[in-house]
Amino acid sequence: MVVSKMNKDVQVRAAINQTLIEKLEKENSSELLRAKLIECGWKDQLKAHCKEVIKEKGLEHVTVDDLVAEVTPKGRALVPASVKKELLQRTRTFLAQHASL
Amino acid sequence: MRRGGGSHQRCLGLTPTPPPPCVQPCCRPLCYEQSERRLHKSLQMKMEEMSLSGLDNSKLEAIAQEIYADLVEDSCLGFCFEVHRAVKCGYFFLDDTDPDSMKDFEIVDQPGLDIFGQVFNQWKSKECVCPNCSRSIAASRFAPHLEKCLGMGRNSSRIANRRIANSNNMNKSESDQEDNDDINDNDWSYGSEKKAKKRKSDKNPNSPRRSKSLKHKNGELSNSDPFKYNNSTGISYETLGPEELRSLLTTQCGVISEHTKKMCTRSLRCPQHTDEQRRAVRIYFLGPSAVLPEVESSLDNDSFDMTDSQALISRLQWDGSSDLSPSDSGSSKTSENQGWGLGTNSSESRKTKKKKSHLSLVGTASGLGSNKKKKPKPPAPPTPSIYDDIN
Repeated sequence: MVVSKMNKDVQVRAAINQTLIEKLEKENSSELLRAKLIECGWKDQLKAHCKEVIKEKGLEHVTVDDLVAEVTPKGRALVPASVKKELLQRTRTFLAQHASL
Repeated sequence: MRRGGGSHQRCLGLTPTPPPPCVQPCCRPLCYEQSERRLHKSLQMKMEEMSLSGLDNSKLEAIAQEIYADLVEDSCLGFCFEVHRAVKCGYFFLDDTDPDSMKDFEIVDQPGLDIFGQVFNQWKSKECVCPNCSRSIAASRFAPHLEKCLGMGRNSSRIANRRIANSNNMNKSESDQEDNDDINDNDWSYGSEKKAKKRKSDKNPNSPRRSKSLKHKNGELSNSDPFKYNNSTGISYETLGPEELRSLLTTQCGVISEHTKKMCTRSLRCPQHTDEQRRAVRIYFLGPSAVLPEVESSLDNDSFDMTDSQALISRLQWDGSSDLSPSDSGSSKTSENQGWGLGTNSSESRKTKKKKSHLSLVGTASGLGSNKKKKPKPPAPPTPSIYDDIN
């Protein structure tokens, strides 16, 4: 009983560790992506687009939903291919490393 | 909801499986058991997933794409929130400029102008009027001129200090009258003409630009008496005592310039004057037995090359005052000579012990003379050329 408990302990710890690692990886990736997008001018482009949208809709009546609906598809499209590539590569590497438990 | 042993069921809020009957009154181990079981299950499921994805590459790829999409969505959403907040707080349009200002500050791209539209060397040709001397000075030279003109600034104070030191020296040397009557008489007669001429030619005796002189003098501060030391290129020697004169002549060229009637303060190798002139000056001041200081250094050197000296001796036969009079060299000069000797020793091989060949050292040592003060260069012998002409 004690032995099995110890095993479970170890397993539990391993699982927690894994979760933490994944979360950390996600956080890092997210930050990296944000930095890259600013660098490549994605943010400025999107901002310009936002300005137009807001001017259309009127400054007072802008809602989050409006913005999200307008901005997200454009944002997804505007991500440069290099950034996308790099990020995918990073994710794949991570999965390859940590998937084989 | 089935209730098992212990009240912790409530706090956990789950009962997928009935908890085992617990004997102990404390419910902590129970919680632990339950959470453990949950984790265990999730772990199993995960491991199944992992192994699955490990097998299936396309699934792996799909997962990667999913993760990427998640991240991008995150960024977009974050951006939207930022914008919305900026709009609602009112600072979204703050970084915009109105079109008028945009035109004002547009980048200029014309030849001859910089990007701000300014002309390149606009101030080169402009002239300013000095408030002190009311002269019109070029703009780029205005600051140094003002420094000199007003007598402020680093250089001006240096020059003023030097002048003070000179006049002090002058006053001091005037007091040794006993041994120097002859010399002083000569100097005075010569000097009075010199002074008259000098006064006329001076622009402004107090102008700080004058005087690079007397770097070699031991300066002592006292009341300034600037009118005797106005010329920048030399020293007025009439107030020097014989000791000072001798010391000067061993270190400097000393040739008296015709325009200014002052001794040249440049090195013994100064290109403006010939060695002949230098010797003449020394003879004039120190008597016919005086020789150039480099010559006397030979006394202290033992490692001379004899062969070359012979050739030089023959060239120099015409010079009568080739004999060195050790008494004249005196104790006051030996220290300097030793310095010379060391200098000559190290750099020149054409030296001789013989007295007659001392003058051969004139040319070479004149080159060496500069060694003491400047970096030691191998002295290019000007001697042959000079003496060839003379011969």
